[in-house]
Amino acid sequence: MGMVREIVKNKYLYVLSLPGLLFLLIFAYLPMAGHLIAFKRYRLSDGIWGSEWVGFDNFKFFFMGSDWYKVTFNTIFLNGLFIVCGLGMALLLAILLNEIQKVVFKKIAQSFIFMPYFISWLVVSMMVFAFLNTTDGILNRTLAANGLDPKNWYLMPEVWPAILTVIYVWKFAGYYSIIFLAAITGISGEYYESAKIDGATRFQQIIHITIPLIRNVLIVLALLGVGRIFYGDFGMIYGIVGDTAPLYPTTDVIDTYSYRALRQLGDFSKSSAVILYQSVMGLVTILIFNAIAKKIDKDSSLF
Amino acid sequence: MESSIRQVKSVKAIKVKTDRSLSEKIFLFFIYAFSGAFALICFIPFWLVFINSFAAESSIKRSGYQLIPQNFSLDAYQYLMNGRQIASSYAVSMTVTIIGTVLAVLITAMYAYVLSHPKVKYRNVLSFLTYFTMIFGAGLVGFYILIANWLHLKDSLWALILPYMLNPFFAFIMVSFFRTLPYEINEAATIDGANDLKIFFKIIMPISKPVIATVGLFYALQYWNDFFLALMFIDDYKLHPLQMMIRQLISNINIGAYVGGSQTTYTQPLPTYSVQLATVCVTIGPIFFLYPFIQRYFVKGITIGALKG
Repeated sequence: MGMVREIVKNKYLYVLSLPGLLFLLIFAYLPMAGHLIAFKRYRLSDGIWGSEWVGFDNFKFFFMGSDWYKVTFNTIFLNGLFIVCGLGMALLLAILLNEIQKVVFKKIAQSFIFMPYFISWLVVSMMVFAFLNTTDGILNRTLAANGLDPKNWYLMPEVWPAILTVIYVWKFAGYYSIIFLAAITGISGEYYESAKIDGATRFQQIIHITIPLIRNVLIVLALLGVGRIFYGDFGMIYGIVGDTAPLYPTTDVIDTYSYRALRQLGDFSKSSAVILYQSVMGLVTILIFNAIAKKIDKDSSLF
Repeated sequence: MESSIRQVKSVKAIKVKTDRSLSEKIFLFFIYAFSGAFALICFIPFWLVFINSFAAESSIKRSGYQLIPQNFSLDAYQYLMNGRQIASSYAVSMTVTIIGTVLAVLITAMYAYVLSHPKVKYRNVLSFLTYFTMIFGAGLVGFYILIANWLHLKDSLWALILPYMLNPFFAFIMVSFFRTLPYEINEAATIDGANDLKIFFKIIMPISKPVIATVGLFYALQYWNDFFLALMFIDDYKLHPLQMMIRQLISNINIGAYVGGSQTTYTQPLPTYSVQLATVCVTIGPIFFLYPFIQRYFVKGITIGALKG
């Protein structure tokens, strides 16, 4: 009865929460029933409940092939590259920008660096295509102008982890550098004052004051990234690589793989098995790394 | 005695300073050179897209994309404006972004307010329900079946709007803002006879403008830039948002130039490079038109969200 009394007492507040709560139930919890399909042979006409149970057959099928290893490796490897290079570059930029005294230069540089964050992956994809396409791409034109052979970039899977990392750094370094800059701005000026009196150079100040004092922010951001390492960025990979099959060996991540299984092969059961595998692995890693992040800095963990 | 030591020290410091001034200068040069170079690398693709959308097609075909094209022309924009797709795509993107952002901000703010309210006994239950969706997703298949088979939203604009109406991360940004508001406001209003609905809409919303602007911008950007939902649920060309139009333009040329001028031939006329670029310009135009405003609120939002969320 306590529950009813509570709801009646604060009825207007619960009314306010109602649309949001309904949204979560319908769009976040109801579709979780889709995970059941991983254990069924799904047929559209039978629906989720009516389709035949097949136990772990879909998982067997997925894990017996070599695809599961390839997409898992790609997801973790690419995300690892993104975290290391993205945060590394962002940290460097934040430290450098913080040293800049000329306000106009700093403002313009920051505006430019932050720009790529705002555009969609398809716009990025168009830019990438302008750089790399075989016949008229800027890169191949430049190579040709210097007497080198143009290359078929969209047929060379081995270079794409590097290309995607460059794109990621280009797009997100500005975003993360703002977080680092905020942390650097929070450092008390007294540290620098006393270091200056002791004759420390700016470089020494960075190494011995700035970096140690924002180390926690860096670690927490990295841990949060690692916590989501099983989730590929669908918009990025599918937006840029799309259906270019020759690049799948190094760029196909769990998310693009399950998307194709669903939308192009129409194989609901297989896609569902892949997704349940991802969700479970994702949940476990998030819980582990979130706990670690919480230990390091209890305000900075996700929850 | 003491003062003489201090004097010696400061003389030493000056000496050290002059010794190091060269390395300081080099360091300073490196700072400006590196951040300047990175800023340029970020900016140049935008410039290339912008300026080459005004290039004559023959100029691109002859010498590729250039920092300053040899011949200018408005053909691309003319071609674009003569077609029907750009107008309908623009209308779709605008509608989805405006309706979506307004509804999403309202729902998120209402929900976040309840999560932050100390009077609500079940706020932790609600918070957990919200958190859990962040760490364990329903996944693509269930989501697809929900939208396509249960709600029958295929080829409907609601399929582009509804799924993004409550983002837990943005909700928690708002929660952390609402928690900073003094509770006395609430008590005073309650004594004056206002109920919680009135307090929220008449008092809380007006003083929460900064966080509403920030979260609103996050939502607007998400709606404007999204292509995932359209890819999944929209087959009808008339309902393609701008992002899908870009995708269509890329994938039509894909076959020709992507894989090295291969065998496949298209019977329909290929969309030209400059038309692609013009479409991109038209798509990112509103973002850059509002850029100073956007930048300010985003920086605020990221800082709150990252350090507190």
